[in-house]
Amino acid sequence: MHDLDPLILARLQFAFTISFHIIFPTISIGLALFLAIVEALWLKTGDLVYRQIYRFWLNIFAMSFGIGVVTGIVMSFQFGLTFAKFAQLAGPVIGPLIGYEALTAFFLEAGFLGIMLFGESRVGPKLHFFATCMVALGTTISTAWILAANSWMQTPAGVAWDHGRLIVTDWWRVIDNPSWSVRLPHMLLAAYLTAAFLVSGVSAWYLLRGRETTFARRTLSLGMAAACILIAAQVFVGDHVGTTLVKYQPAKLQAAEGWWDKTTPSPTPYLWIIVPDQAGQRNRFQMGTPYFGSIWLTRSLHGTIGGLRNTPVDQQPRMVLVFYSFKIMLALGMTMFTIAVISLWLRWHGRLYSARWFLRTLVVMTPSGVVATLGGWYMAEIGRQPFVITGMMRTADAVSPVPAATLLSTLIAFVCVYAVFFGAFLIFTLRLIRRGPVGLPPHALPSGSLKRDLRPEIAGVQPYLSGTE
Amino acid sequence: MDLPLLSALFLMFALTMYVMLDGFDLGVGVLLLPQRDQQVRNRMVDAIAPTWDGNETWLIMAALTLLAGFPLAYGILVPAFYIPVVLMLLSLGLRGVSFEFRHNSATSRRRWDFVFAGGSLIAAWAQGLVVGGLIQGVDTDLDSFGGSPLDAFSPFCLLAGVTVVAGYATLGVGWLRLKGEDATRAFARRHQRWLPLAFLGMTIITGAIAISIQPNLAVSWRDHRIALSCCLIAFAACGLGIAWLAGRDDVDDRIGFGLALAMMLSGVVALGLSFFPYVIPFRITLWQAASAASTQEFLLIGALVVTPVVLAYSAFAYKVFRGRTPAEGWY
Ligand code: HDD
Ligand code: HEM
Ligand code: HEM
Repeated sequence: MHDLDPLILARLQFAFTISFHIIFPTISIGLALFLAIVEALWLKTGDLVYRQIYRFWLNIFAMSFGIGVVTGIVMSFQFGLTFAKFAQLAGPVIGPLIGYEALTAFFLEAGFLGIMLFGESRVGPKLHFFATCMVALGTTISTAWILAANSWMQTPAGVAWDHGRLIVTDWWRVIDNPSWSVRLPHMLLAAYLTAAFLVSGVSAWYLLRGRETTFARRTLSLGMAAACILIAAQVFVGDHVGTTLVKYQPAKLQAAEGWWDKTTPSPTPYLWIIVPDQAGQRNRFQMGTPYFGSIWLTRSLHGTIGGLRNTPVDQQPRMVLVFYSFKIMLALGMTMFTIAVISLWLRWHGRLYSARWFLRTLVVMTPSGVVATLGGWYMAEIGRQPFVITGMMRTADAVSPVPAATLLSTLIAFVCVYAVFFGAFLIFTLRLIRRGPVGLPPHALPSGSLKRDLRPEIAGVQPYLSGTE
Repeated sequence: MDLPLLSALFLMFALTMYVMLDGFDLGVGVLLLPQRDQQVRNRMVDAIAPTWDGNETWLIMAALTLLAGFPLAYGILVPAFYIPVVLMLLSLGLRGVSFEFRHNSATSRRRWDFVFAGGSLIAAWAQGLVVGGLIQGVDTDLDSFGGSPLDAFSPFCLLAGVTVVAGYATLGVGWLRLKGEDATRAFARRHQRWLPLAFLGMTIITGAIAISIQPNLAVSWRDHRIALSCCLIAFAACGLGIAWLAGRDDVDDRIGFGLALAMMLSGVVALGLSFFPYVIPFRITLWQAASAASTQEFLLIGALVVTPVVLAYSAFAYKVFRGRTPAEGWY
């Protein structure tokens, strides 16, 4: 086993565990906000359909949250398991940030999650709604802290070197480092979009089968309305993220756009397919849309941008990975945008719930948010290579002194156990979806907290908020 | 002000909260193994379902305090206990997801219960391996771990693992007796008679071996002899007290659980005192491993301001689910 490289194994293990983790926070952050909105609507209108939507998604949320928690606990040890040297250098900077995340977010989520999941018959509806809001707030705060930690690694600020150690000189600059304020909204929007396409996709599936029509129409209407606003914001914010990158991590964007030459031809095409040759510092093959590169990236017809050769070879990331992760996110973002525009048009013509080709597209798009999120993170993380902290520490110097064989065997263990998590999550979620939302459990009716249920005059005749009824 | 000492106290606080709170969760999980009745098992899991997540968060808090306050120690200890830590994380993970998955599957619930119990058992045992490994000593090489990942699997560590399982099970029966009705409570009472005695006995054996394999422990015990004696007397008295009260029906069920918490607390305090002032026992002190003052200050301000709020709403969450677990679950 002497030819196994601990560096590669440590990176694989970190990348695998964090990629797996982020899938579930993305879903939880989005669904938590969705649940809070639906519960607010239920409390406000008393319409039982909202309650049914809440109940249905709460179950899926609980599973996703559970996996998010247990894989997150792994992450707080992963800095030591795989990158102990990084932990020793950067612990004084990112440790308190993630510590604050635990104090202000993890405890908040955990404290109110029990009430949200199990407390409906024990606390009044207002307090229950409050608990839902606290969980949603917790996931948002959590995102803010962890993005501060990660953004500091991308664009470090507020620290000074002192005898080979990092000393924080200004905490506010550590947190509000140059990329945090654009990456945080980008990530939050990504999570909300993920939930919007998830709930819309499932509703579309019901509508295609002619099942649960009332439930599905209402959910689809909410989901697509949210998606329209969110994707417009996301394209705008994403563009800002790119502009920030040009300033602070130019190599990443150079790799993401696929050019090698110090300056690109004028006008610059926008590349969609490349076969890069990293050793030769050139593309073997490239294909793109003429003019579009100049227009998108320089806002002019003939502008040019710089290619990866502007960055010394020993500081370049692997172009092929960065390029394609970026293109996956971008392509999905544009698809979402197109779908949002079409949904407005269909809604206008009253065909949002009946255009079968559109519903089928939505079913296919159900996991699109997760895929785009992973693409974005791969771009961000692989584009930072060969550094783990931009300009300060190389990944190769960060690895734990753990034998390769140990790293390999635990990597296999992680893959096996996480496969169980993922398999069970998919099976149970699909089973819940197939079973469909259930009505109100009969024993719930007489309880005090549900007294609205006993007032059919509210429950039955609420006009639907939108749609074609 | 001695900032590293304050950070170390906060670290100890988080660890103690973890051991006491997740300790009873894990104990209840382990106790699913001898329980055959599916109904009772459902009640047992219901008794911890609404609050386990918050309990486990104290482990994260402890790990992050170590990372922020004592990065040198974090970077040595986590690789030193690489295999026990991964074992613990994977077991905690399997156990955590079983909460949701068993709830959603009527047909395969038995299988998930087994995963749940096995996960609890291995997680508790792996934590014991770490305790044993700390006592026997961690090899360091400048500021890295210098030993082998298998060091934590010595016979002594294996034994320490069993001791921790017994301790958590003692907490677990206390909680079940408090939260359970009828069959669950009777089951808890039955095991409450012998588990605290087993924990007490195992601790004495482990301690005796510890002092023979780790000479520094004797020095440390001599230095803190008064405080340590108090802890040990409290520890033994609580253990005997629980076992004695277990048989009587006229005492409040809260007393048994309270005594189990006190027993665990005195055990943890004794362990902490034995190691003081080292973070990596008998090699690297708190002050040698501490991060710079700017980090310690920032962390401590957060800890001091936010922890009371956390404790308040965590207590509120417990209050919402006070009383015995309803027979039909929490829904
Ligand atoms: C964009 C958001 C995001 C990102 C990038 C990460 N996490 Fe996460 N994490 C969350 C968003 C989140 C969350 C929304 O707060 C979770 C997900 C579901 C949940 O239970 O809380 C969570 C859970 C969670 C938990 C369990 C919390 C609990 O008990 O409630 C821990 C310890 C971590 N995470 C730690 C990490 C670490 C060390 C990361 C990086 C290496 C990381 N997370 C990346
Ligand atoms: C279509 C327009 C979009 C543009 C121009 C865009 C741009 C970017 C850029 C430049 C980055 C790299 C940031 C860095 O390395 O620091 C990034 C990262 C990311 N993107 Fe996008 N993006 C778009 C759409 C989306 C969509 C639709 C999603 C998900 C639903 C998404 C999710 C993410 C995530 C999760 C990251 C990583 C986190 C981060 O670095 O902030 N993006 N995006
Ligand atoms: C949640 C979404 C994230 C994803 C999908 C992700 C993905 C990755 C990937 C793929 C790598 C390996 C890169 C390579 O070696 O080529 C990596 C490395 C790393 N990431 Fe992230 N990451 C995420 C968030 C974070 C956060 C929030 C932090 C810290 C606060 C972080 C810290 C690190 C560290 C320490 C490494 C190891 C060193 C390195 O390879 O650069 N990551 N991540």
